[in-house]
This record gives sequence, C-alpha cells and structure tokens, in this order.
Amino acid sequence: MNIILVGNANVGKSVIFNALTRRYVTVSNYPGTTVDISKGITKINDNNFTVYDTPGINSLVVHSEDEKVTRDILSKSDIACVVQVADSKSLKRSLVLTLELIELGLPLVLNLNMSDEARERGISIDVKKLSQKLGIEIVETVAVTGEGIPKLREAISKVKAALSLNALYAGSSDEIISLRKKNQIIEKLLRDVLRISKPKAKSASEFIGALTVSPVSGIPILIAVLLVMYLFVGRFAAVWGVDFFEHTLFGGYINPFFSNIINKFIPIPIVKDFLMGEYGIISMAVTYAFAIIFPIVTAFFLFFGILEDSGYLPRLSVLSDKVFRVIGLNGRAILPMVLGLGCGTMATLTSRILETKKERILVSLILTLAIPCSAQLGVIMAMLSQFSLKAFLLWFSTILLVIVTIGFLASRLVPGKRSPFIQELPPMRFPQIANIIVKTGARLKWYLKEAVPLFVLGTFVLFVSDKIGLLSLIERALSPFIVVWLHLPKETTAAFIIGFLRRDYGAAGLYALARAGALDKIQIFVSLIVITLFVPCIAQFFVTVKERGLKVALMIAGFVFLFAFLAGGLINHLLRYLILVKGIAVL
Amino acid sequence: MEYNQKIEEALSIIWEEREKKIYDKGAIIKRFLESMSEDLSGALLNEGYVAIEKDTVKLTDKGEPKARDIIRRQRLAERLLMDVLEVGRKEVDSSACAIEHILSKEVEESICTLLGHPKECPHGLSIPAGACCEKAKGLIESIVIPLTRLKIAETGKIVYVLTRGHPQLHRLMSFGIVPGARIKLHQTQPSVIIQVEETQVALEEEIAKEIYVKKIS
Repeated sequence: MNIILVGNANVGKSVIFNALTRRYVTVSNYPGTTVDISKGITKINDNNFTVYDTPGINSLVVHSEDEKVTRDILSKSDIACVVQVADSKSLKRSLVLTLELIELGLPLVLNLNMSDEARERGISIDVKKLSQKLGIEIVETVAVTGEGIPKLREAISKVKAALSLNALYAGSSDEIISLRKKNQIIEKLLRDVLRISKPKAKSASEFIGALTVSPVSGIPILIAVLLVMYLFVGRFAAVWGVDFFEHTLFGGYINPFFSNIINKFIPIPIVKDFLMGEYGIISMAVTYAFAIIFPIVTAFFLFFGILEDSGYLPRLSVLSDKVFRVIGLNGRAILPMVLGLGCGTMATLTSRILETKKERILVSLILTLAIPCSAQLGVIMAMLSQFSLKAFLLWFSTILLVIVTIGFLASRLVPGKRSPFIQELPPMRFPQIANIIVKTGARLKWYLKEAVPLFVLGTFVLFVSDKIGLLSLIERALSPFIVVWLHLPKETTAAFIIGFLRRDYGAAGLYALARAGALDKIQIFVSLIVITLFVPCIAQFFVTVKERGLKVALMIAGFVFLFAFLAGGLINHLLRYLILVKGIAVL
Repeated sequence: MEYNQKIEEALSIIWEEREKKIYDKGAIIKRFLESMSEDLSGALLNEGYVAIEKDTVKLTDKGEPKARDIIRRQRLAERLLMDVLEVGRKEVDSSACAIEHILSKEVEESICTLLGHPKECPHGLSIPAGACCEKAKGLIESIVIPLTRLKIAETGKIVYVLTRGHPQLHRLMSFGIVPGARIKLHQTQPSVIIQVEETQVALEEEIAKEIYVKKIS
C-alpha cells in the first residue's frame, strides 16, 4: 500500500517524509529542492506502507517536468492515502490543490504544516469546521520539531475516500468547475474558517528578506556572502584544514604507518608501488580524497547548507534575472547554477524546474562548461588563495566572462524560447543547526560513496598506464597541447586524464603539483582555467545524457573539451605576452 | 435585428476577418450568412462603407472609423462584463454583442477610463484606442492601472490579468494572483516583487505590467 505526499512547493513535504520514514532526503528552504520521487517505508498500526515524497506542484494541471513527475504518481494504483502537505500561512493557495485532489476521489488527509509560523503571524484556522466542510481529515503539524506527527499517522490509518464535493459545488452545473469558480468557493470557505487577529508588524525575517533583494543592499550582501564563503572554504578549510589533514594527519601518521607496514610485510615491489607509489591507492587516491578534498567539501557543504536553509538562494534570482536574460534564460536559472557549485550532477537534474527545452539545454551547457563543483571549487580557491585575492577575482571574472559570452552565443544558436521570470520567494528563516548537520553528513556520505571508488579507479588506470609505458606515450602525444600550447609541465597530463573521471580529482592532482612547487603562477592560473572549463565528470555526463539525450550531451562535451584547451592556451599566451613584452605582471 | 445593427455587425465581421488577414469577398459573405443569414455586402456598398476590388473587400474612409468604433465598443463591453462584473465567458460573448450597439460615445469613454484604457479584449485581440486613451496617456490617473504604476508599499486589488500565455496565467493563478486578490508592491527594481496574502513572488516587469489593479488607499 502506498502513501503519497503532495503539496505546493516549499511547504515541507520532505520534512514530513523524513519524519514518517526516518530516512533522510535533502531538505532546504526553497521551492524545487525535490525534483524526483523518493521512496521510504513506514509502519502504521503494524501495516507497512511505502511513502513517496514528490516535487511540489501548485495544481494538477502540469506545466513543467518536475510537476509531471508528481501527477504521474497520483495515477498509481494501490494508493492507501494521499497526504496533502500545506503551508498553514497560505491556506488559500493550498485549497486550490485540495479541491483538485478531492475531485480525484482518492483518500485524502490534509496536513497543515508550519502551523507555528501561521500562529506567529496571527493566522488562526478553524480546523474542525474546515474538516467538516471539505469532508476530509485535517492535521496540524510543525514538522521540523515533530509536533503533530503522531496525529498525522493516526489520521492516515483512519482515512476514508474523500466525500464528493457536491455540497461545496452546489449551484454549479456539473461541468468541470472553472478555476475562477473554485476561487470563489475557496473565498467563501475562508471567510468561515480563517481568522487573522493582530495586524502584523514587520518581522526581522521580512526585513532581512527585503534587504537581500533590494538593488542598494542586495549586491553588497551578495559580495559579502561570496567573501565569507571564500574565507571559510578557500582560506580556513583549504589552507588550514588541508594542511592539518595532509601534513599532520596523513603525512605525520597515516602514510608513515602504512609504508611501515607495507615495507615490513609486503616485499613485492610492484604491490608496494601499487599501494604507496607515485600512483598508489593509498598515497594518491586515499590521500587526495581524504586529506585534500574531504576538509574542503565538508566546509563547503556546511556553508552551503546554511545558505540553502536560510531561504537566501531563490532571492539571488531577483538580482540576477536581468543578467540571465542576456544569455537567453531567466532568473530562475540561478538555482541550478548555484546548486552546480555543490554538485553538477544534482544540478543537471534540477534544471527540470525550468520551463522550456531551450532553457534546459543552455543550463546543461553552462553547468558542464563553467560551473566548478564544490570539491573542485574548494581546491581552486585553495590554490589561488596562496598568492592573492586578486588572482581569485581574476579567475572568477574569467569564468563569468566565459559564461556570459558562451551563453549569449548559445542562446542565439539553440532554437526555442525563454520563459518569463516568475519565482516564489520563501520567507527567510534561521537555519536549524540539526538539519544542517544531518544534511552535511548525508552529503559527505554520498560524496564518499560516489567519489572514492572513482578516485581508486582513476588511480588504478594511471598506475597501469604508467607501468606499461602508456602514460609516457600519452604524455608525449599530448605534449604539443600541454607543453607547447599551455606551457604546462608534462606531469600535469596525469591530472587531466583523471579529470575525465572527476574534475575535482584532476584539480587535486594539480594542487599536489603546485604544493610540490612544480608550477609557477601563470601555470597554476592556466591549469585552473583549463580544469574549471574541462569536460564534465563521468556522473554528470551520464545525467546529462539521461536528461538531454545522447546527441546533446555529446555535443556539449565535445565543445567544452575543445573550448577548455583553446581558452587556456589563449590566456597563457596573453599572460606571457604581457609579462615578457609589456612587463606587466597581472598575477 | 434592425438595419443599423446589421450594418454594424457586418462591419465588425469585416474588421475581425481583416485581423486574420482574410480579405476575400466569398469568405466574408460566408461569414455574413453564418451569423446573420443574410448577405450584407450590397448594403455596405450602397452605404459607401466598403469597396470591392477584384473580390477583395476593403473598408473605405467612411467605413473604417465606423468599424473601428463598433469593435472598440464590443471589446470594451467584453472587458467590463468579464473583469468588473465577473460574468462567465459564454454570457460575455452573447451580451457584449447586444451591448455594443447601444453604447453612447460618452458611456464608452467612461467604461474605457474605468478599465484603465485596456489594450486587449479577454480573447487577446487588440482594442482600438479612442480619444480618451490618447488624453489619458500619463495625464489622468485612471482607476485601473498596471501593477507597476503602484507606488512601493501600496496595495491594490487585482481587477484583471491580461491573458497572454496560458501557462503563465495559470502559474500566476496558482500563486493566488487572481482577480479580487489584494496585492502589495514591495519593489520594482531589479525585479518586481509583490506579496499576495503570505506569498512573496518575484516577477519580471513585462509580466507585472499585465496585472491590472485598483488602488486601495
């Protein structure tokens, strides 16, 4: 038997899901966090139910792909109960969907979530009366604290098929009731059940929310947020954290410990090499994954989680809408882009929230080309922060320029239309520490599960290529590109090869070279531009194939590959020209 | 139907066909027969409202303003019935047809002003501008104005939302942006931000301009 959670966007379906199933799916404070169905099991009165968490919808009339996912699951057979999760503050909006769900004739429970926020704003709902009028069970909850969840379980166990709406629709002909008519019915219902008591004063949350989107204070706040991120991820985690992990922990204890054991017990040189050599599983894969990238992504996920839960991210769409218009998109595209800073694979899925095919292709292209994922971004910040903030800003502007130029050109080439910008802004909230920690933990676990096997695989490929002489062959074959065109040492070839598997692994390889003093400033900068623009990691490529089709994905990957080397080379020659001929050291 | 009404009806048919880029005499006569079961091309020719060249029907200098007036009255009537009186679509079509013939110039202008000099009828066809629209350009504060003309922190009641694309309209409706809803303007730059009930929505200006409100003081 199935329980389906449905509701408007950003009302807390995923929190309810987590509470019912004791599983964890990502929860954030913006519409569009859930783009796909999640499944979990819950036990109510000794009966097992499968619970489905769904992307938010405003109506059963479908306009975008994430909404279609939800509607399709409602046509599933064997539905024990549909739970409509609703924001108590916006009862009117929720009821539009409630009426549509009742029309479907499925057993329905209405869950009025966030009832604490509604109370704070002086909104009180006569639940008993509303329940009578609609003929369905209604439960109030505050899902983040667990308040009301037992009652919700009880209501689910007792649910009956919804009554017909004849009483409500009395007086209308029996054709399909128009939206306008429904709105009138809802207005009438609300007059009976809704009381708004005190005139509301502007709360701190509203005040801060207004500051973040106003043109005067919005931009400085954005710059401040970026700066804090740079300091926290790029300086604190990437410099101090990596230093501690790499030198103290791995350099001081773990690696010596393993080399000791290996030296003592494994006398076979090739196995020794395989574990601790230049391309060794422990000395390279494990060290890169845990010593270099782990502290950086931890810091990034923490910071990002706070941003997500505060409700700040969708506000960026207000500031960026005009810029996105230049590249054939609207402000809503900022969400997949910013999520891409977390993980390009997830972000490519999130592009479903955009309405037109053109917009989704453009976003997939930009995500593949120019948006570095968390681990990669952290490594890049760490490398650049070693010389100056200026270098970081220069890298940032170069990437921004690439996004705007390529986006502009691509928007002319890709047929189709831009959809108008309409975006709901959730209220700003103080993030819940517990959720941030759980979310960061879940993401780290996912990161380790996804990245470490690929790191090991990549290292294995390098190890074998090195041993059979393939690596030096490739290094020689690519040397016109790497050594002549990009002016990089041939050792960086290995970093680019593993970059095919994961870009962050490639970046970590460059980082290790830079820390060993094998790269000068220009080489660091150029190699970072190339690895930023470089091909998507394997996981992102497969998701792009799934979402956009093989042809589009191949075209994107092919273009990005060529463009990365072209741009890297041009910048290399420009920087060298400036310093040699004009005597200007940009970096 | 009396003679005058028939002539007016016939002129409005020619105008509507012209909007669809149809000028062919045969097609137009067919439409006359469908809606009034009578061919009025002869009468229109006699009155000097139309000229027919090589099977192509054209409005004359005398017919053009008359047709324009009747179309304007018809579409204003539709807007009035639909947006202010909230009559259903079906009744709008039948009643508007009757009203258009009895509206005086004066009444027509007051309706136009009341509605804020709308540019499109509920079907999305353009309403020809009248003298009052020209005068009103920026001068007189009309009662129904586009959302973007509210001042920041002012509240308005939505009178109608121009129906350009169905998906957009639906999206707006699902946020509660429907006729009758109270809407508060928070800011206009870099994007328009409004609040309906407890929901804050950011919109691009082009969409916000299509939401017409009546200011609430």
